[in-house]
Amino acid sequence: MKTTNFLQNLYKILPPIVLILGVMVLVWWVFFNPTRSFVVSEPGRDGFAEAGAVEEDILIGEHFERFSTTQTSFTESWPRFRGEKSDNIYSSNIPLINSFGGQTPEILWSVEMGEGHAGAAIFEGLVYVLDYDEDLRADMLRCFVLDTGKELWRRWYDVQIRRNHGMSRTVPAVTEDFILTLGPRGHVMCLDRETGDFLWGMDLVEEYNTEIPLWYTGQCPLIVDGVAIIATGGDALMIGIDCTTGDVLWETPNPGGWEMSHSSIMPFEFGGRNMFVYSASGGVAGIAADGPDVGTILWETSMWNHPVVAASPVCMPDGKIFLTAGYGAGSMLLQLSENAGTFDVEILKTFRPGEGMSSEQQTAILADGYLFGVLPKDARTLRNQFVCVRPEDPTDIVWSSGPTARFGLGPFILADGKFYLLDDDATLVIIQKSTSGYVELDRVKLFDGHDAWGPLAIADGYMVLRDADRMVCIDLRRN
Amino acid sequence: MSKRIDRRNFIRGCARYTLGFGLAGLVGFTLKDTTTGEWVWQIDPFKCTSCGRCATHCVLNPSAVKCVHAYPLCGYCDLCGGYLKPGHISRDTAAENMLCPTAAIERKFIEEPYYEYKIIEDLCIGCAKCVEGCSAFGNGSLHLQIRHNLCVNCNECAIARVCPSDAISRVPASEPYKIKGGFEPGSQDVAES
Repeated sequence: MKTTNFLQNLYKILPPIVLILGVMVLVWWVFFNPTRSFVVSEPGRDGFAEAGAVEEDILIGEHFERFSTTQTSFTESWPRFRGEKSDNIYSSNIPLINSFGGQTPEILWSVEMGEGHAGAAIFEGLVYVLDYDEDLRADMLRCFVLDTGKELWRRWYDVQIRRNHGMSRTVPAVTEDFILTLGPRGHVMCLDRETGDFLWGMDLVEEYNTEIPLWYTGQCPLIVDGVAIIATGGDALMIGIDCTTGDVLWETPNPGGWEMSHSSIMPFEFGGRNMFVYSASGGVAGIAADGPDVGTILWETSMWNHPVVAASPVCMPDGKIFLTAGYGAGSMLLQLSENAGTFDVEILKTFRPGEGMSSEQQTAILADGYLFGVLPKDARTLRNQFVCVRPEDPTDIVWSSGPTARFGLGPFILADGKFYLLDDDATLVIIQKSTSGYVELDRVKLFDGHDAWGPLAIADGYMVLRDADRMVCIDLRRN
Repeated sequence: MSKRIDRRNFIRGCARYTLGFGLAGLVGFTLKDTTTGEWVWQIDPFKCTSCGRCATHCVLNPSAVKCVHAYPLCGYCDLCGGYLKPGHISRDTAAENMLCPTAAIERKFIEEPYYEYKIIEDLCIGCAKCVEGCSAFGNGSLHLQIRHNLCVNCNECAIARVCPSDAISRVPASEPYKIKGGFEPGSQDVAES
């Protein structure tokens, strides 16, 4: 009897309970958002848009100080990035050492520098380097005597640069008459070589809306026949400026909006034309270097398009051009051809780091018909190895230095049949130039260095090199 | 007059002392192992090859292995190889540009040209994609560590068994972390990373 009553009551109250629960579930289902804690990853969440640009008046070449004058008896020069022929090969009759003889070479002079990677140019016994003075906060062109390190003069201008993996990183271009510099934030300065007198200056950001690359300008300027050649990006791809007057002689249009890269302009003669080859962020092009059409684009391709390009193009006599970039980009081999004055460019090969010659920072050297260089960190099992490849197929690796001889981002130069390679920690390695195998002749740690990435310069048997904080000179002449 | 000890008592005494010293030694040895000898698993970031197995082979899901950031080593770059995937369209916080599959890295603009990168540990699965990118293109400031507030300290670590570079080993619990960049183990920086 009791059970029957209970069931009768249950039948009465169960439907309302189920109804109420159903309504509650429905309300929960409608109003509960299980993704309410999700955050949309969209641009601008890093707060960059709220940052303001730095406003400052920069008077290029404003300050000058002379310390001394001198006459030198030296005759050789390393007048710009990668030397006179842009090949990074020191051509001289002066024999250089094959080994260090169990001793550390004497540091002839050592000069403290602002943090950076700017290398030296040498002209007949005088060393020019565009330093960044961290105390004065200024781009400073300094002139030293090659064998003593005595500073003769300096010219500078105030400009705010913050540390960003170094501050300075370009090599001046020097001729008999001129010195041309390109500062970290795109300030061009031209001086009289002998006196250091200021001739003219140009702010590329103001004049051409140049986008300064990440980690500041790495492009090393070029002077050809008294004309300063600068790849500006922005409103022009490249410009030619009269070094005497500062007048812009020609401008190359930039319809593709390519941007300035860290790569430098390489002069190249092919198909009866002199041209400037430039690997921009956006593409690569050959610009007429002379003639009535100077400054016009002879050929171009935007198939080579990477955000960070540091190495310069390696142009080969048969019209092949080797391009490489870091940060996983890999490399490309182009074939240039000429027909009745017009040029065509064909992509022969594209490959990833580790599949062949590639580089994050330094430019390969073409010697004896082979390409030599250090592979980047993302080159898989060949990472950081010094390699020799066939230029007609840079994935055909002839030899590599092996897993026990790996190197960093430092520079290397070919001189007297040997590669002189500077490792990150200022260890100088001598490697026999060979197309049959890796032969390390000797190595020595010159000093406790770090980030020794600045390009090397050799003249009259003296090598000028640097790490992030100091520049030194050693005598490589063989007695 | 000295009292002579008979042979039986001498042997009995020797046995008593031998047993006593033996028991004391055994107890001491056992106590040593169970009190001062605690061991934990540790990743050596200098051996790690960022293979990704830490994310998939830990008995926990998500893994007890997390990325930590050695700020003194970081370049604070706009173009961060640990944050942006190769071939990114633009250098910003859009999802399509991120390398991390779980958006576990927070990017914050400090001042021109610096950006700070912070690991959101709750989201990190220890896949090491960022570690690989940071090592290949940067200073290697991002690296993996086993977080001992999460690790259940298995007798045989499932990740250690499959680690191709023998980067995981048993270490004393007094030194649980091997941190790049000179951090003191268990410092605030690590705890917050």
